[in-house]
This record gives sequence, structure tokens and C-alpha cells, in this order.
Amino acid sequence: MGLIRVVLADDHALVRSGIRALLASSGVDVVAEAGDGRSLLREVRAHRPDVALVDVSMPLLDGIEATRRIARLSPQTGVVILTMHDDRSFVARARRAGARAYVVKDSAVERLLEVVRRVAAGETCLVDDGEPLDEPLTSREREVLQLVVEGKTNGEIAELLHRSIHTVRNHRARLMRKVGARSAADLVTAAERLGVAVALPEPGRE
Amino acid sequence: MGTTRIAIVDDHALVRDGLARLLTLETDFGVVGSCGDGAGALELAAALRPDVILLDIALPDIDGLDLIAKVLDRSPESRVLMLSMHSEPEYAAAAVARGARGLVAKSASAEALVEAIRRVAAGETLPSEERLSPREREILALVAAGRSNDEVACELGIQRKTVDGHCERLMEKLDVHTRAALVAYGRRIAF
Repeated sequence: MGLIRVVLADDHALVRSGIRALLASSGVDVVAEAGDGRSLLREVRAHRPDVALVDVSMPLLDGIEATRRIARLSPQTGVVILTMHDDRSFVARARRAGARAYVVKDSAVERLLEVVRRVAAGETCLVDDGEPLDEPLTSREREVLQLVVEGKTNGEIAELLHRSIHTVRNHRARLMRKVGARSAADLVTAAERLGVAVALPEPGRE
Repeated sequence: MGTTRIAIVDDHALVRDGLARLLTLETDFGVVGSCGDGAGALELAAALRPDVILLDIALPDIDGLDLIAKVLDRSPESRVLMLSMHSEPEYAAAAVARGARGLVAKSASAEALVEAIRRVAAGETLPSEERLSPREREILALVAAGRSNDEVACELGIQRKTVDGHCERLMEKLDVHTRAALVAYGRRIAF
């Protein structure tokens, strides 16, 4: 088997460079890096990698939603979620979204390599525990919620999603009703509760 | 010029080992030790007296900011350089106020980290400044807790117009354009 081709997505450049350096000497070729969920989708479309290593918390589109779209966009790409937390409801959501494995950032590099190799070989390392999920929002509503909490105006969201501002207002009204939010602070709280992995854009972030 | 001896404290093994690998690429850097919690950091500081200690601000057993003085107590000659998921200047200012030589955000490039290490190893303290006044921080905390401007005014015994003005200036300083973003930022820098 040749080199395993990987796209690596994490919003922290130092973490990306470090993981890239760890993978470099091990038969894994990091063909592209991405710092947010949207550029991740672009890189996956362009490179059709064997594996996408995807951090959960990223600006514009979180790792879970990005995974859902990669599964449609490039079915041959196996998604491995990178996460800080070993949380059951989160793992279930990742699996439903189509992730084949997850690795906590606390793992040794050997564990990461093993998972990447197995997923590249077509294996799935996540099993469905059958527990029902509290998932009141549609995929699109989760995306809009993330963008609202990251400080985007309705106009900016409309532009990002290629939808009319009218459609965005409707999404926003519906999701506020669904989560019972009446203020901006309520929306931030709802995003935390639903595990929308918001990452605010920061000065100096690439 | 000798080798700069570096220790890395970060609770995520992948991040820790990745940083070690990156820094080892610099011929004048040597990574002498690493660990994942505050207790380990204290042992490591006492035993190795590294030139530079990279210290993650978020550790499982102790707040990274509270750890700075304890580490320096064990190894007074070491320079502590904080690492953080967040690049807000509030974190850097808080770290330097407690004895660190600066803070590097994990969103920075590897080159920026290498440069920061060289500078603190040479004795420099990296620049940091407070953006917000104590009053602004107070108001931001209330906004982050979900209070309306009227409620903030009432709570602080000031005019609603004054609160509006503070909020406008806060949004300008933090470069955010919506109330939701102001709330989200407020929650993040509330410490």
C-alpha cells in the first residue's frame, strides 16, 4: 500500500503543524491542511483524501457538520474525529454524522497512526450504541446557529450559504423557537447545550 | 551559543508530542522533558531547571495561571511561556502579570512559537496589553450573563445611555458586530 493521503483540519495552526510533524515519518502524507470547516470541505473536494482528520471545534462549520457533508461529498474519505473530550453523546453524534473513528487528543501518536491506518483500509471503529439523541435542529439550523453565535449578521450568513436573507431569517426564527431562545445570550447557551462546537474567529488566526 | 533547554506542559499528548517534534527541528533547541499536568510540571521544573517552560493555560489539576508562581518558585531562573487556545490579549496580560514572559496562542504558526521561545530565552518579556477598562469588563460580564442594557444600568446604578455607550465601545474594541458575538466573547474572557 502506498502513502495514506490525509487532509488535516484543526483551527489551531500550532496543533496542526505538530500533528503533521508526528505523522510525517510514518507513511502518512498530509496533502492539505484546513483551519475551518468550510475550507476543510474545499480541500476534501480538491484532494479526495483517504482520511480526513477533523477537529470538532472549528469556525464557520464545526467538525460534526463538516463530517456529515464529507460523507456525501467524498464517500471514499474516512473521517477520523479529533477531540479534546471523551464524551459519549458526542461520540454518538460523530458516528451518526458518518465519522468512522475518533481519537482524543490525549492519545499517544501510535494510537492515532493505528486508527488512521485502519480507517484508510476501510474499517469503521465506531459502533452505534442505539441511544436516542437529543437533536432538535436540522443540519442547516445547526449551521446557522453556529454562525449567529460566531457573530455573523443575517446578511453575512446569507452570503456564506448562498441563500436569501429572507431564508436566513426564517431559519433563525425557527431555530430560536425550537431551542426556546429569546435573546442573544439564550442562543449562546443553546449552542453550548447542543454541543455546537463554536470557535470564535481570533485575531492572528489563519 | 548553547542549546536552549525546553520543557513542555500540555495535557494533550498529541499536542505535546507534536510540539516536541516541531521544536526538535531547531538545531539550537533541546526538549528536555514534558508532562501533562501541574504536579508533573512542578517536579519537572525542580529536577531539570529548564531554560524555557512552555505551559498550557488549561490543565486538568490546576489553573495554568496559578501554576506560574509555583513553577518559578521551584526553578527561579526558568522563563515561563504560556500556551493558550485563546489569543485574546486579556490572557497574555494576566499571564505576564503573574510572572510569565509572554503567551503564544495555539493559532500561531510554528515560526512564531520558535521566535517567541528565542526572545524569552534571551531575557525578553513579550509585549501584552489590557484592552478593556475594569468598568468595561464589569459590563461585559453582565452582558455575557444575559442581562439587557436596561438591567445592566439598573444593576450598576448608571444611566441606560451610558451602558449603550460602553457596549458600543466594547464591540468596537473586540471587533464584533452583533450582540450574540459580544455575549460569546464575554463568556470566553470571563476569568
